[in-house]
Amino acid sequence: MAESHPANRKSQSSLEYLLVVALTFAIIVPITYLFYNYSKESSQEINDAQVTKLGRSIVDAAESIFYSGQGSKTTIELIIPDNVQSVVIIDNREIVFNTTTSFGVSEFVFFSSVNLTTNGSCNANVCNVPGLANSGLKKVKIEAISRNSVDI
Amino acid sequence: MYNKSQAALEFLATYAWAFIVITITISSLYYFGVFDFSRYLPQRCIFPAQFKCLDFSLKPDEVRVKLVNNLGEDIKVTSLQITNDATPPISCTPPLGFDWTHSTEKDIAFTPCSGGAYIVGERAELRITIGYYAVNTPSKPVHIINGKVNGRVTSG
Repeated sequence: MAESHPANRKSQSSLEYLLVVALTFAIIVPITYLFYNYSKESSQEINDAQVTKLGRSIVDAAESIFYSGQGSKTTIELIIPDNVQSVVIIDNREIVFNTTTSFGVSEFVFFSSVNLTTNGSCNANVCNVPGLANSGLKKVKIEAISRNSVDI
Repeated sequence: MYNKSQAALEFLATYAWAFIVITITISSLYYFGVFDFSRYLPQRCIFPAQFKCLDFSLKPDEVRVKLVNNLGEDIKVTSLQITNDATPPISCTPPLGFDWTHSTEKDIAFTPCSGGAYIVGERAELRITIGYYAVNTPSKPVHIINGKVNGRVTSG
């Protein structure tokens, strides 16, 4: 059996190296793309769930404090997700979270059976809740300030 | 000298052919959609939890989604829009506004649909925008929610 030329051996190893690298890329690139897209949609669902949970927490706490009587108060700790742009109270009964998603702006609306007020700036019947506008951990005080309304 | 130049030319000619063959092969694979990895993603309909998407179907001239009103309030839907990133985008006739009682499901159909690279057998990613207000809120402020449908257009 003839011994192969050293140059041939080198070219063979180079070719094998290139084939292994090409195969690795052919596997890694599509998998990365698929996982990236899948995780993007999953993170969207997680943000939705977070906003829904904190909206329900605020409304539940407000209703609980209202029925505890005037002067009752509590502080709840909430983690505001990054996608929340602003929070407003409309007509003293709707608390609205304006959020951005990968496919547009959405409003998460929560309805309270008790009157909600806030000490933020108001324009007609729309009042900003400044304490909830930025992302991160927030401590929100909820207090029954009168016999017919709860302050956030 | 002559021998060396001939070897160099043969080397270049060989690799040029190899390059052309590889380019044509990759172009063909691309043309037939082998590199369209989005086809391997699951078909999904994503709406906020307050309007959970229960089901959807993409037919050649119709987009249909089934949503449930989880707001806990009766609402009136005032506007519905559907679009996508194609140029020009998909054009569908949305249903008229309707009343929607809490905890009930609605089958919302956009039909007929045309344009927007909305083709049978192809993957479509559509954005749906819904405007609504709560009937019990005095000033009736209109709220907007966005959802996304990502699936294959089927003829059946």
